Order: sequence, then C-alpha cells, then structure tokens
Amino acid sequence: MSSRAWWLFLLLMGPLVGVSFISAVQTYAEASGLGGTAAGVGEAFSPLVGVWAPTFSACEIGAAFLLPFVAIRLVAGDRQSGALKLEMQHRMSAFARIAAKVLVLFLGWLIALAAPLAGVLLWRSYGGSVYVPELTTVVFGHILNAGLTIALACAAASIVEHPSTAAIITLAVTVGTWILSFVAAVHGGVWESAVAYTPTAVVAQFQHGLVRLDVVLIASALIVTGLLLGGIWIRIGISVRRRIYESLALGFVVVAAVFGCTFANASWDTSENRMNSFSRADEQALREIHGPLQIEAHLAPEDPRRTDLERRAISKLRRVMPKLQVQYVSVTSIGLFEQSNPHYGEIWYRLNGHSSMNRATTPEAVLETIYSVAGVTPPAEDPADEFRGHPLAVPPKHAAAFFYVIWPALVAASGLYFQRRSA
Amino acid sequence: MIGNDTECAVLASAMGLSKRYGRITAIRDVSFTIRSGEIVGLIGPNGAGKTTLFECFAGVQPFDSGTVSFSEASGRVSTVFYVPDGIAPWPQQSVKWVLQYTLGFFGGRTEIYDDVVRDLRLEPLLQTRIGALSKGQRKRVLLAIGLLSPQVLVAIDEPFEGLDLRQSREVEQILRKHVATGRTLFLSIHQIADAGRICDRFVLLSDGSVVAEGTLEELTALAASRVGKLANRDFEEIFLALT
Repeated sequence: MSSRAWWLFLLLMGPLVGVSFISAVQTYAEASGLGGTAAGVGEAFSPLVGVWAPTFSACEIGAAFLLPFVAIRLVAGDRQSGALKLEMQHRMSAFARIAAKVLVLFLGWLIALAAPLAGVLLWRSYGGSVYVPELTTVVFGHILNAGLTIALACAAASIVEHPSTAAIITLAVTVGTWILSFVAAVHGGVWESAVAYTPTAVVAQFQHGLVRLDVVLIASALIVTGLLLGGIWIRIGISVRRRIYESLALGFVVVAAVFGCTFANASWDTSENRMNSFSRADEQALREIHGPLQIEAHLAPEDPRRTDLERRAISKLRRVMPKLQVQYVSVTSIGLFEQSNPHYGEIWYRLNGHSSMNRATTPEAVLETIYSVAGVTPPAEDPADEFRGHPLAVPPKHAAAFFYVIWPALVAASGLYFQRRSA
Repeated sequence: MIGNDTECAVLASAMGLSKRYGRITAIRDVSFTIRSGEIVGLIGPNGAGKTTLFECFAGVQPFDSGTVSFSEASGRVSTVFYVPDGIAPWPQQSVKWVLQYTLGFFGGRTEIYDDVVRDLRLEPLLQTRIGALSKGQRKRVLLAIGLLSPQVLVAIDEPFEGLDLRQSREVEQILRKHVATGRTLFLSIHQIADAGRICDRFVLLSDGSVVAEGTLEELTALAASRVGKLANRDFEEIFLALT
C-alpha cells in the first residue's frame, strides 16, 4: 500500500479500461440497432468478442507497460535502498522473499482487475448478457499474462543492479515477442508453433474463450522459472559463478518441462457461441473418423487465406482430431509470386488412401471435403446449436463518469489515506 | 581490557579471507578473531577494504577464498547482524515502522525498544520517513536497528559517520552500555581517534591486508619494537607506526 508506483498504476487502469469499454459498448450498440441501424447485424454478436475482449485489452496494455515497473520497483527497490543487505540476514530464504513479493504483486493486480470488472457490472446494469464461463476464461488469461510479466520483471530486477536496466530488459523481451509474432507470420513453420506461447498469443486464446492445457502448463512453468531465477540472483552473498551454474541447470530443467508440456492436447472451449469449435454434431462425426487425416495446404505464410483456414477450420480440427497432420507448402512468404504455379492455393485432404482437393478455406468447405474423403454422411444441423447472439442497443451510460472521474478520485483518495496512515 | 583466548570465548573468526574485484585485490589473506563481550575495531583509512571485509564476514558479499566460522551451532545468521553504512532502507516508511519491522521480522529485542529509542534520541523522528532524514539521523536509526537485532554480535560499518562530536560521544556510551549487558561489537572505523577511545581490541587494515591485531598495549609494544620510542602513546601514532 506504500508503493506509489502501484497507486499510479491503479489510477491509470480506470481511464485505460474506460476508453476500451466505452468504445466497445458503443460499437456493440450501434451494430445492435442503436440509432436506427439495421438490427439484424447484431444477431450473431457475442459479448465475448464485442465487449469483454476489447475491455480487458486494457489489462494487456497495463501488464505490458505499467505492471513491470511496479514489480521492478518492489524487487529492485530494496537492493537500491540497501534494505536487501538487512533482509538477507534473516533466515527466510531468498525464494520465500521473492515469493512473498510476487504474492503482493498478484494481489495488487487482482485489485486492479476491479476496473474491468466494474465494466462487467455496468454491462449487466444495461441489461447485457454475461456468460460466466467465457468471462472467467478471459479473466484467467489476463491473470496468467500478469503472472508472466511479474515473473519476468522479478527475474530482471534480481539479475541486474539498476532498476532502469531491468526495465529495459523487460520491455525488450516484450517487444521481442512481438517481433517473434511478425517472424512467424512471415515464415511460419516452427516459429508459428513457438509464437503460440508468447504472452500476446496466450491472451488472444483466452480472449476467445479457449483454454489450452499446454498453454496453461507452459505459462505456469515460465512463471515459476522467473520466480526461481529471481530467488537465485537476489542472493548477492553467493558468488556470481555459482548463480550462473544454478541458472543454467534451471534452464535445462525448464526446457525439458516446456517440451513435455507441448504434448498436452486437452483444451476447452468456454465461449457461449462455440467460436473455437465445430458444432457438436460435427465434432461427434469427426471423432468417429479413424486414421490420421493429412492436410497439405499450398498457401504462403502471409496469404490471408492461410490465416483464414488456420483460424476458422484447422485450429478447430486439431482440438477434435489429435492425430491431424497439417503441412503448409510454399516457396515464398507472401504467395503473390506463386500465383502462376497451378498448384498454389490447393488444399489436399488424405485419409486411409483416399484423397481429395479443395481450394476453399471456409469451415463448411473443409468439413464437406473431410466427410467426402472419409466416406461419411455429414450430420444434420441441430437448430439448438445455433447461437442467436445477444444484441444490445444501449449506449454506455454513466461509464465515462465512472472510469474518468469516480475511479481516479476513489483511487487518489484511497492512496492519500493509506500513505498518511503508514506515515 | 580483554584477556587472552582462554578467558573469553571466541565468538567468530575469519581465516585467510580474500576478495578481488577483477584485477583489484580488495582484501588479501585477512584473519582475525572476535571474542565474546569485547568491542573490536577494524581500523583503516578509506579504501583499505573495511567495508568489503565486513560484507564478506557478514555474508552479504561472496569472498574468493578463506573461511568464516562462528561458535554458535546455527552459524552466521544467529550470531552476527551487520549494519551497513550509507543506506536508507525502506525510504517510504517511517522510522517507527522500520524499528517495529526490525522487532517483528528479525525477532528483535522488544524489551529494550524504549531505551534504544530514548538513548538515540529518536522520539522526534518516529513519524518521519526514512528518505527524509539527514545523514546523521539515518545513522542513528541504523544503529537502533543493529542494537534491536537479536544477534549477540553486531557488526557496524562506520558507527560515527555523520554524527557530530557530542553525538559521537553519546553513541560511544550507548554502545558500551550494550556491551556491558552481553553484546559483542565489531566496528569498522576510519577515524583513528574515535576507535582508540571505544575499542578494546583492534584489527589494523591497510591496503587490504591485516598489519596488526591486538589490544592497545600489545599494539604499542609492537609499534615500539618497529620504530623505537614513540613520540607519544596516542593511537594515531601507533597506527602510523604500524602501517
């Protein structure tokens, strides 16, 4: 409570969330028919995509650009002020000390989540629909993302002497993950697999209501690694050489653990509109198809059709058919210069000696081709499975007053109260 | 005056401590003992390696070679509490918070809290933030932290730094009072005159090495054996003769 950095972070979260929430609700309302627009557009609208994802995106910004400085200040501050030289004379292990600080940071982050959760309450007051499983998934994803940030910041603050250097390292890693995403988009392949575990991708998955066990395990492993690194390096009474050896040993263990976690296939789609899954009938039919399905898509990494195919069909297929093998074939990264190649754009499906080709990338076309290759009758659509959406043509009333005036005033008043009380 | 090893138990000892920073040797083959109930002064000019030696002794810095041993079975953490010089721990917190934290977190000596606060004249400062204190005020707070710690041996780096003459004399009396109740003090002092007044035994450090160790009488005799008759017997002359 005495950390001015945290109070500043908390103060800024209100307006940050406010901008996102107000914009999202206004857009949602207009698409739902506010102001006399056609109401039919909103029928397929889901608050998950239209409201929660943009509102909680402010948490992603906060975690990337504000939370690291709070964490670094808490960990490095003791070293800078000399308090560390006193604290390390206590029996409490360095790991326990770091864990205690991280716990405090986590609690601080949970308090900061009150801003977007206030948005949830406002949405409810408007009469908006709240599907708890998908909202819980979004919150969990941001907690995991905050954990990654805190762990990275703690490790950086413990390794280097000066907080500014730790801040640079933390931001460099964050920017590095964005560059990794860019590289994956251009080159695909193993980069695409690696980028799935970056904080941005992790958050994106959770913001679509998808919980992947491998992502949760790997994120947890990386969080623990950051804390252990922090504990190793905060022990300034141990020789640097020994700390390096311990860090290397930890690195080997973590790499092995992360590799093992990549084999965890389980996933759960908590979105109300099942945006990460095929219909229940289709999933049942696909599970009954035996034999490894091979898909060979002649599409370049930056071709929008490849992205469309991957996001709308392949990712859903992987959840239902673990033995699915997908190979992307291309000579260039853009695909523009491969148009003269007659095979470019072909998507081949092979199963048990049968094969079929289709150029369409829609989920319907993909399913139709798979059923054709498997010799399976497509299941009938279940009307109950159709998501009707939750249109809401209500503007974001009182949101501006709350996020831009009440929240900052409350935080400022609370901050002053606690600062005076601790003095 | 402290007698020989058979009269007072050895509380801590260092053997052959060495520490280098790259090519610079900060301390070289340093050995000394600290006996229960005495005030040992680590004396040396600025840059002699006193703080490095203190931090290696207290475990705050790793050393390259040598050993540090303690008589307590539970080792360093139970035996010695190191008070660094020139720090402002928890700068956003008040003096009162810091002292209460010392008592709570370190299991400090609650029974002497009021006496320590009164003796070091900290009552007017209790509600002041550590970061807002002057150098001398911070030094008094650090001394309080050290005296409130539960360990029997308190190692204080530059206990008189930032204090005026009157405050220095008051602190000398306070430290002697605590030693009389069973504490042992290991003080790093660069002001030779201050050291001569308060310490029972001395470890003279020059250019990273121990040049002499002993009581004032022992060092006087050693100095006389090296340079002949001393102009006067004050500690400054003895120090100059031995270093």
